[in-house]
Amino acid sequence: MSELEQQDAAESCCYGERGGEDEGVMEECELEEMGEEDEEIDLYNEETFGIDLDERSDEETGDSTDILVFCGKRSPPPPPSPPPSTPTTPVPQPQVLPALSRGQRDRRVLRTGDMFEDPAVMRTVEGRPSLQSLDSAIVDSHIGSLCETLDPDTWMLSPYGRSRKALGPMLHDKAIITVIDRPDPARAPLDFLPPLRHPFATCPLRGSGKRGGQRGLHPLVRPLGQRYLSQMGPMLSRSPVRPRPAFSPPQPYMQPFTPKMMHLRFGAHSPSPAPFCSPSSHILQRFRFPGHVTQLHPQHRRLLSQRHQRSHRGDNLDPNGQLMSIKEKEWIIRLQMIQLQSENPHLDDYYYQEYYQRLEAKIAEEEMLGDKSKREPPKLTTPYVTKTETYTPVVHIEGSLGQVAVSTCFSPRRAIDAVHAAQSPEEPRFSEQEQLDSRKQRLVVLHNIEKCYMVLLEVEEAAKRKATVFSEEERERLEEKVQRRVKLIYSQLQYPANLETAEEFLPCLLVSKGKRLLARFLPFLSQDIALHVLKTVTLHLPVLMSRDVDEALPVMYPSLCTVIGRLSFSQLIGVLKGFTTTLPDSKERCLPMACQNKFGISLLYALLSQGERLLSSDTPMDAGIGDYETWTETVFLVARELSHSSLVEPLLLPSNLLSLFCRYLDKHTVHQLEDSMERSTAGCPAVPS
Amino acid sequence: MFWLLFYSFFKSLVGKDVVVELKNDLSICGTLHSVDQYLNIKLTDISVTDPEKYPHMLSVKNCFIRGSVVRYVQLPADEVDTQLLQDAARKEAMQQKQ
Repeated sequence: MSELEQQDAAESCCYGERGGEDEGVMEECELEEMGEEDEEIDLYNEETFGIDLDERSDEETGDSTDILVFCGKRSPPPPPSPPPSTPTTPVPQPQVLPALSRGQRDRRVLRTGDMFEDPAVMRTVEGRPSLQSLDSAIVDSHIGSLCETLDPDTWMLSPYGRSRKALGPMLHDKAIITVIDRPDPARAPLDFLPPLRHPFATCPLRGSGKRGGQRGLHPLVRPLGQRYLSQMGPMLSRSPVRPRPAFSPPQPYMQPFTPKMMHLRFGAHSPSPAPFCSPSSHILQRFRFPGHVTQLHPQHRRLLSQRHQRSHRGDNLDPNGQLMSIKEKEWIIRLQMIQLQSENPHLDDYYYQEYYQRLEAKIAEEEMLGDKSKREPPKLTTPYVTKTETYTPVVHIEGSLGQVAVSTCFSPRRAIDAVHAAQSPEEPRFSEQEQLDSRKQRLVVLHNIEKCYMVLLEVEEAAKRKATVFSEEERERLEEKVQRRVKLIYSQLQYPANLETAEEFLPCLLVSKGKRLLARFLPFLSQDIALHVLKTVTLHLPVLMSRDVDEALPVMYPSLCTVIGRLSFSQLIGVLKGFTTTLPDSKERCLPMACQNKFGISLLYALLSQGERLLSSDTPMDAGIGDYETWTETVFLVARELSHSSLVEPLLLPSNLLSLFCRYLDKHTVHQLEDSMERSTAGCPAVPS
Repeated sequence: MFWLLFYSFFKSLVGKDVVVELKNDLSICGTLHSVDQYLNIKLTDISVTDPEKYPHMLSVKNCFIRGSVVRYVQLPADEVDTQLLQDAARKEAMQQKQ
């Protein structure tokens, strides 16, 4: 039977079963494409080297019957060959489909239209989009490393962005036609075909099972897809299948379009590849390239592609990439993902969600300020469904000294609470009693702080939700919840439970974690209560400064600044007194110490700046008796101290300080002050008040 | 449910450069490509940080590291929000108590 007959048969099979069975059609088409392309080569050879007249005439008319690579595309005008009702040719096909009638085919012609209207084009073959663009399943053709990157991407991709996972199943099994755009004929000029890598005449590992076959055929790759590189380029880039890390323009050469691939597409129970072997190889040898200006001999093209490939070879080839089929890989990934499913992503994935919310908020802010738009950070989320099981990870048996952790596959290790251990009965040892006590106290304080943190997290979330919620009653409810919890935290901080102490807040403030907690907690307090806290801080400032080993005090600076900014004059004076009064234990004042401490001096500056702001503003002040005198005194004291001692760099230098000093002091002193302040604030940001 | 705190944490570091020190003392520097709930790590563009007494790694570009063999992961400090990590740990503890 002539090739043309075979071709027709192939085409007919392609056209069979239009309608719902796109899948079958597609699979058919691929096989038939193989046949068609082989015929192309044959044709080329014939044309070059001469053929029989009648055959040639057949061929020529057949030429205009362009080989339809892509089903549904331009169909050939009726060929002069035998009627298309010959599905029983040796052309291998897994399914025998009824052939389309001529009428149906004509309809096709009308529908698809003429894509290539360029008169320079003698023959056109619509490039078949590369396999990998058609079917995400056949990605493992040549991009082994890409496979690795692609498949994890199924679960790494965000649901907001392109979800390849969602598309995967669809693409894998159903009509690719629905996904791929038609290449725009107006685009880049038609290019010559990628060379064919020849012969499948030898198919070494055919019979050696699924995977082996694939691997063995790998070197015998033939560039089935992509007749038109440039056309395919844009098309592929539009394809939603494209994974986000877009790899370099698709390699047209590395399509192991083998029966093995067909096998994949058909599924696990498709017939063995054996029947495909010989006829396929025969078919694949005959490859027809479309006409364009240059017509390269297939061998030539193959050589070119080989040379091209060798340069790209290293990146793409992964001999182990075909060990598992895509389905299997996705199955495994899905298994993992099932374990990660949760009903409460915000809680389970807390760090990541919060981090990215904050990052996005920051980016949005920066964008608003006019910065160039930053690249959106990739969002990686895991799928979420209803959570099913709960269990108790830790069991405390009565009378035991500790806790027993129940290890399961969900939680192999569980940290035992430190406090429990500390509270368990111990034999008092007099020599270490004090040590134990202080350690115990510290533990108790830490435990309290942790409890307060839990509540604070709830408060912060409720406050955030309050901003977004719309209903009034919801807002009230949240507000009430917030207030309740704030009170709770406050009482805990003030006088920590289980601790006998007369000092308010001090135990918590001495611990750096407590300082951080307070800094976060202050915004939720009313001004009066916050003032009380501020006074306490100022009062205990020397102690705090001396025992601030971790230098965690500055963490409280921003929140305290906010409080200071709302102080009235008399309140301010009250706070300032704490700086200038002599300490009970020593003759010294707090002031010199403060000047040597970053936090201390920053606090001092902030207070002074607030005073200056109040004084220079027009609003009437409700100053108590003697307030102004105290103020002036304080200013003098501070000025003297500042000019005498070497200063530490403050966290922030308010810019109205100098004007304050100018008002009260002589020029000389002011200059001195200025110098010493500037000396200390080499790299400090100045803030206009 | 697995302890997802560090999974969540490492997810935020995907795309950043890290150095993974294994229990066999091999240190690998690379870009964090992906992580899973077992804290298995995939790195791309790797290089062995210590003097190349591991020459068999010279040609390796990407690698997969099983989570259980990792001793340390060195991170870029500015990519980590320690406060947030503490909060996440608290939330995780709260969750596990329930």
